[in-house]
Amino acid sequence: MSSRKINKILLVDDDIDLLEQTKLLLESKGFKVVTAEDSEQGFKAFQQENPDAAIIDLIMEQMDSGFILCYKIKKTEHGKNIPVYLLTSATYETGFKFSASTQEEKEWIKCDGIIHKPVVVEELISKLENFS
Amino acid sequence: MINNKANILIVDDEKGLRLGTKRLLEEEGYDVATAENGEEGIKLGTSKEFDVAVIDLKMPDIDGLDVLKEIKNVHPNTVCFIATAYASYDTAILATRIGAYGYIPKPFTPEEFCYQIEQGIKQRKLILDSERLKKEREENLFELASEKSRLNAIIKSINEGVLVINKNNEVVYYNYSALKFLNLPDLKIGENITGKLPDKICAIIQKIFSKEKILLKSYTVQTEVGANNELIVEAACTPVPQPDGTLAGVVITLGNITEFKKIEIIKSQFVSMVAHELKAPLAAIQGFLNIILNVSLNIDKEKEKDYLKRSVSRLKSLTDLVNDLLDISRMEIKTKQRELEDVMLADVVNSTLQFLELEAKKKNLTIEKQFEGNIPSIKADLNEITRMVTNLLSNACKYNVENGKIIISISVLQNYLQLVVKDTGVGLKAEEKTKLFSEFYRAKNERTRGISGTGLGLSIVKRIVDSYHGSINVESEYGVGTSFTIKLPINQN
Repeated sequence: MSSRKINKILLVDDDIDLLEQTKLLLESKGFKVVTAEDSEQGFKAFQQENPDAAIIDLIMEQMDSGFILCYKIKKTEHGKNIPVYLLTSATYETGFKFSASTQEEKEWIKCDGIIHKPVVVEELISKLENFS
Repeated sequence: MINNKANILIVDDEKGLRLGTKRLLEEEGYDVATAENGEEGIKLGTSKEFDVAVIDLKMPDIDGLDVLKEIKNVHPNTVCFIATAYASYDTAILATRIGAYGYIPKPFTPEEFCYQIEQGIKQRKLILDSERLKKEREENLFELASEKSRLNAIIKSINEGVLVINKNNEVVYYNYSALKFLNLPDLKIGENITGKLPDKICAIIQKIFSKEKILLKSYTVQTEVGANNELIVEAACTPVPQPDGTLAGVVITLGNITEFKKIEIIKSQFVSMVAHELKAPLAAIQGFLNIILNVSLNIDKEKEKDYLKRSVSRLKSLTDLVNDLLDISRMEIKTKQRELEDVMLADVVNSTLQFLELEAKKKNLTIEKQFEGNIPSIKADLNEITRMVTNLLSNACKYNVENGKIIISISVLQNYLQLVVKDTGVGLKAEEKTKLFSEFYRAKNERTRGISGTGLGLSIVKRIVDSYHGSINVESEYGVGTSFTIKLPINQN
């Protein structure tokens, strides 16, 4: 998989405030941002827009909505080749014990990494750009 | 008897002597009874236990020695003297053999007589003391024996498991609970325990055995037991020292902590969820403020104002959440100290509606009240009932449609007061209904988007209803409306 230029990013989050903030920040860095407020809309947007990356909130309608959307995207031909990150404020401290740091975990969770809230846009961009 | 006045029996056929000794002894502070012949002497001496008896040897009817024999037979601890003018060595021996304490030769002076009686009373005290000591010792021995079997019975029947092993890892003692908590079908005294105990417990025992010095402290470990690890057991292992200070073995007590573990998990899940729910609004507010402060983003005044407004709204929801959480914790503490008074449900509904008037007007909601006449009051905490009604009615407003309707009815149903709140709102999907009363559950679908809430309102309602031994039910059709029915028992004290 070769590194490719990221232009269009899909953002899925049911917290419309956070959604708008991240969108604004990414746009200020010159990215085109497509948003969706739940996993169903998120998958539709993914199919229509063919984004170069996807950032998905973990807990939306259901505790596992983010996992399922990740899985569905990674199962598509296009999804396999783009970075897909899970967004969460759940951490070890709050008792949700998972990460996606090893290859095995990434394989199992079907995402390329986990981004913790609140989002630091510079970190996010560097993660996306260094994805290979 | 000996502590108060000593009882003395005089048996003598000589009237003058009877009366004289009686008066003499009474002056000395004794209780005196007299018998004028042998027959009467036996009758008195056997019917009551005297401290001291003075028996004349020669009496016309029955011989003094026979009287002595009869009295001693019934009351062996009565100290008996034989009094006689015909003192002979042989009768003295015989009398002593039968059980006489002493011989009082006639005639005697009052001093001599009193001295003998005093000696007799001293002897009587000694006899009684030794009797008491003997009885006490016998009782102690009996208690010791029954104590052992009682201890055994207690240890066998307690709920905690007890297992004692010696230095060679052999079973010394165990009870039935120990078998249960170790998931063992049987154990034999003297059997080697190695390989039968869970690894974690074995490790601790080995640790105790490997220590050079015995530290008299318990080592505790929690371990899962059973085919499916269904039992969580806490084992406390304590070294048992011998009198010389060396290690005799280890006593292991086992407790079933499965239920505590379950509660611990529920509690930590709740804390996780609280943390998550608190973090979301904080992250949103922080995000907005960072954007406003970030000069390079250069957002316009209009947008800035919008973001500040949205921050304030998130702060409000955060405050609501904290208040709800405080309510829940207060409720957990409060069950013991709530202030019960007569509460009229209709009054509570009416005053709550006043609070919600503005919100209802915004959506142009029609509110219909169907209150039955003669509704009795209930004994309840006004704050709790107000909270319950407020949460229900505010949901009915929040999740209602424009120009919708709320129907509130109060009625009596046998021993229950029934409150029904029916709205024409977004309604619930079947799968949403089951989770409705769980903490932090909020029905999330396209119709509820944009409605804020803490996810605790209905769980608080349920807690309140449960605490009054009432019930809450929900009927709902997605897109049509929802109806909550609460039943609270009347006449509760």
